[in-house]
Amino acid sequence: MINLLFFGRLGDFAKAVPSTLEASTPAEARELLAADFPDLGRELYEPQVLVSVNKMIVPWDQPLFEGSEVAFLPPVTGG
Amino acid sequence: MTSRIRIQQQDFDLAEEYELLRQTDSAVGAVVTFSGLVRDFEVEADVGVEDVTCAKKSIDSLSLQHYPGMTEKLLEAIVEQANTRWNLIATTVIHRVGDLAPREQIVLVGVASQHRAEAFEAAQFLMDYLKTQATFWKSIRRDNQQQWIHSKASDKQAAERWSRSKDE
Repeated sequence: MINLLFFGRLGDFAKAVPSTLEASTPAEARELLAADFPDLGRELYEPQVLVSVNKMIVPWDQPLFEGSEVAFLPPVTGG
Repeated sequence: MTSRIRIQQQDFDLAEEYELLRQTDSAVGAVVTFSGLVRDFEVEADVGVEDVTCAKKSIDSLSLQHYPGMTEKLLEAIVEQANTRWNLIATTVIHRVGDLAPREQIVLVGVASQHRAEAFEAAQFLMDYLKTQATFWKSIRRDNQQQWIHSKASDKQAAERWSRSKDE
């Protein structure tokens, strides 16, 4: 199982989404989420959305392990 | 180089932070600080081109979310990059999170160096990178409705010019 986090506006689309999932890459997690939650799926496939695993930005095909923390990150707007 | 990075809900004292930078070392010849404040309006800027025709919308408050644990690491990396590019004596980055009202302070970037050029440049670099790389997300509240702020193309361009000037 991996743990899911959604930040910024993605959080609004992920209110009904379970916090854990079975997936071997972030790309697979995104695919599974999009199948069950099409509105969230559309947001996750936006090219500007980045993914991090255990707080490091990674490519979408990064292998995941038991307990990996996968976070979906929309464009940042701090400062 | 001494670096101070803080992510906090509470306000900060600009005079106190300036004093810390000033007192770091007797070689300090320049201190530049930048503070960002909450405006009472927001211009609706879509991803892409900023819409200059769009009216300013007043806001009641602003809320800042971040990714604890990751934001700190990203800020450390940004400060480290600045320190590689310029000869800095001390840096301070303080970013507030949570709910903030107009006129409140959001962010402070401070740089102490021997000469002014590097302090000016590094402060601008730190802000440009913080705006485009650090995991903060801003939303506004107005008429009891929350709305996420879009990222601005102008911020991205501001950060990109630093990678251009490196190649020149």
